[in-house]
Amino acid sequence: MYLFRRKKKPRFDGGGLVLFMDVHDALKAERVLKSAGYMVGLVAPPLALRKGCDLALEINLVEQTGIERVFGENGVFYVDIVPLGSNISELLDIVSVTDFDDWVMVKAGNMKVAFDKESGVIVNTSGGGCPDIPYLHAELIGKKLTEAPNPKEIGFTLCALMLHRALEECLLLWQGGEGS
Amino acid sequence: MMLIAGTFPYRDLPLTVGAVSTEGESLVVDGRRLPCTQGTGAMVRAALAVTEYLKLDPPQVVIAGDIGEGKGSRAIYEYLIQNVKAVSPEVLVLHYWLPDMAQTRRLCEAIEKCARRPVMVADAASMYSAKGAGLASCFDIFTPDATEMAFLADPDATHPAYIARHLFDTDITQTPNLVATAYGNKSAARLLLVKGAVDYVVRDGEILETVDEPDVPALEAVGGTGDTITGLVSAFIYAGLEPHEAAIIAAKANRMAGKFAQATPAMKVRQIIDQFPAVFKEHLCQWSAVCYTEGGNDD
Repeated sequence: MYLFRRKKKPRFDGGGLVLFMDVHDALKAERVLKSAGYMVGLVAPPLALRKGCDLALEINLVEQTGIERVFGENGVFYVDIVPLGSNISELLDIVSVTDFDDWVMVKAGNMKVAFDKESGVIVNTSGGGCPDIPYLHAELIGKKLTEAPNPKEIGFTLCALMLHRALEECLLLWQGGEGS
Repeated sequence: MMLIAGTFPYRDLPLTVGAVSTEGESLVVDGRRLPCTQGTGAMVRAALAVTEYLKLDPPQVVIAGDIGEGKGSRAIYEYLIQNVKAVSPEVLVLHYWLPDMAQTRRLCEAIEKCARRPVMVADAASMYSAKGAGLASCFDIFTPDATEMAFLADPDATHPAYIARHLFDTDITQTPNLVATAYGNKSAARLLLVKGAVDYVVRDGEILETVDEPDVPALEAVGGTGDTITGLVSAFIYAGLEPHEAAIIAAKANRMAGKFAQATPAMKVRQIIDQFPAVFKEHLCQWSAVCYTEGGNDD
């Protein structure tokens, strides 16, 4: 006798939740993200994270930057994106600055940007571990802070988002502000 | 065999498998020229510097293009899951890719089926997914920087962007506390090489050694200098050193290469890597008792 077993579908384990005000938005979000090639799953959010309706979308948290961009392009309204199973819902917002005489290095979370004090040219980026980071490294180096592409617009991951924050801070410093 | 897996920053580079070599400033795999820049390229090039110096077989690599969309990363996961048992590497190094906890879980299950378990090394986002999925015990070595150490110590974080503020907002002197917390949470590999102003080599929660000389602060700003440490430690293990010895020598060699290059924040990682042969020639025998001489005599 042959026993046929259905192949077990791998459990999706994304680590992030998108919260919505109503079910319609959640369903639309699922549709546009699937069309864009993202792996997602509709779930009920934990009680503590219920901000609107009781339908949320589980995502791979690290893809937050790309997902927010897809939402923007497709008019998807959402309340928040938060880590799953965590009491933390805010991105790390600590910024530090290191003076290297001719250069300044700004660190935002796990990402660092260094620029030439005189010319405002980005000389290095470091930190992170997601696959868009080497791509952004190549795209940013050698460009002036005022002309560099926005990592949030061409990157896809949380590392890109932190790099964007570091770059914003560099720009503030370069333009004579005190930064945050 | 030493097998390195990771992404390169191209959208259309297909899954490519093979031994790595160099041609001018480029890496070459299966006829494809690849940059030796921040990320997997820098890590592979550093490992190759060790194998070339010690006249060992070059690393084999499993690479694919990915600029953050995940397609190349998924191809690498799938290749490893399907083939790791047959390939049976002695050292398996996982590096840049889109962290995917479910795929990492499948990979660790595949590793368990290997007749001979490889030494498992993870850095960058492969370390994120290993920790996030609660699979740190599947790994022999993690090579976090100081921020990533805080990430490992945070029981809830699945990415360093969401570390609890009180853990992140600490200086390097707090690393021992973060190390203890990470081991307490079972979020650390057997051995940690924590990269920072002071490098810590930790085994099963015990700090075995700290390395802080030479002090080259500019290295922190140079993209890829953490990747090179991972390449070095992995290749020294492949060469036969104990993991903790490999970690200590990797930390020392990276710093010394920075000193030799007179590193500045504007330097390219390639300029640091170029110094490794001179560093090995001057210091490796003293640091490791692996004394390679021209003509092939080892002792």
